Amino acid sequence: MSLQTGSQSNFSDAALMERVVDRDETALAALYDRYAGMLSSVLNRILRDTQAAEEILQDIFYQLWRTATDFDSSRGSLPGWLAVIARHRAISRLRRHRPEQGEELLENTIVMPFNLETAVAQQELLGRVKQALDGLPKEQRSTLELAYFEGLTHSEIAERTGDPLGTVKTRLRTAVETLKRKLQP
Amino acid sequence: MSTHLKHDEDFDLYALGALEGEEKSALESHVASCSDCARKLAEARGRISLLAFSAPPVEPSPGVKERLMRQLHATAEGRSQGRASVEAERATRFFGPQSTRRWSLVFAPAAAILAFAAIFLWTENARLQSELVTLRAAADQQKSQANQAREILHVAQATDTVVVALKKMPGSPDGDAKVSYNAKMGKLVYDGWIEPAPADKCYQLWLVPMQGDPINAGVFTPSKGKTEMWMATVPQGMPAKMFAVTLEPAGGMPHPTGPKIFVGGVS
Repeated sequence: MSLQTGSQSNFSDAALMERVVDRDETALAALYDRYAGMLSSVLNRILRDTQAAEEILQDIFYQLWRTATDFDSSRGSLPGWLAVIARHRAISRLRRHRPEQGEELLENTIVMPFNLETAVAQQELLGRVKQALDGLPKEQRSTLELAYFEGLTHSEIAERTGDPLGTVKTRLRTAVETLKRKLQP
Repeated sequence: MSTHLKHDEDFDLYALGALEGEEKSALESHVASCSDCARKLAEARGRISLLAFSAPPVEPSPGVKERLMRQLHATAEGRSQGRASVEAERATRFFGPQSTRRWSLVFAPAAAILAFAAIFLWTENARLQSELVTLRAAADQQKSQANQAREILHVAQATDTVVVALKKMPGSPDGDAKVSYNAKMGKLVYDGWIEPAPADKCYQLWLVPMQGDPINAGVFTPSKGKTEMWMATVPQGMPAKMFAVTLEPAGGMPHPTGPKIFVGGVS
């Protein structure tokens, strides 16, 4: 039996995924409503191309529909997995790599220390992440953003910025240390 | 088993994709045989995925959801057609070579009528399902708009909301805009019109706090001659010094880089 879309907003991700496995389209629509905004933002930030971002966004949710039975909620967080695969696909597109299917990423366990199932929870976390990033020195923040949004490795960042490799490594290590401290649940 | 990593941050750097060469392969081979470190890597993946929230907010167009739902229906119909073909093949195997010509003459007209009826009903069903998806998408969109309108009204009516008129900077495109900001709620409402941004550019609204760097409050690409109103969420309890709209590359930037178009100080 399918539930009405409007009443799905109170269901947990795991409950909605069970209904997606049962081919309930309204459950997928509810998950889309819950996470499409976050994914659209990161896809647009990486690609700076609305059309490409929307193609990938649609494809991610279609993949979720197709491979719902493979998703094991005990292995990790759905929004975490969605964010990882969105970033992965966008960077692959940006670098003109062959787009990977992403099913293999389902095997990665992702522990999300926060519940992101409501808009309020997402907004609160958005504020925390922004505050954590705003607190970083500019060089650390821009190095972190090159790694996250452009998918650059240590040496690629050094090549891009002209900074010594050691400096890049120290900046990035310090930035992730700070993030880890500030984003404790 | 290989030795544990010296620094736990290596898991975050791996999740970020920054490690390379020996550092990367050493971590991968160690994690494959150490459950403690596999758990730390899973936590690091979750933590790094939170950086998605630092991207300037961009809502997808309603068409994406509509196309997705159509895609699901197309797949479901494909499966139904597949099942129908299998059933037809089974029926052919059962009635085909074994049945007599006399039975064929009796049942052939009835079968043809049934086949036409089935095709008509299937086509009609597909059309109605497609309409239903469109209507659902439209209803969802209206509901979302109604919710946003309620929230905008809530911000506008709050007694502690401040309204800041934005002034056009010399040489900027024509326009007129204001921002209603409620620091306690962490919400602001942009209301205004402005000439469309050039191709490959967009406008971006910034909250400039009393202390610290400007905070992104939304990217927008207005249509010609249209007034628009939208709401954005910013960190709660942030005292604002001013608001500014800048012209940025399409998709927005993490920090303002382009010329100021509108500026308004909070009195």
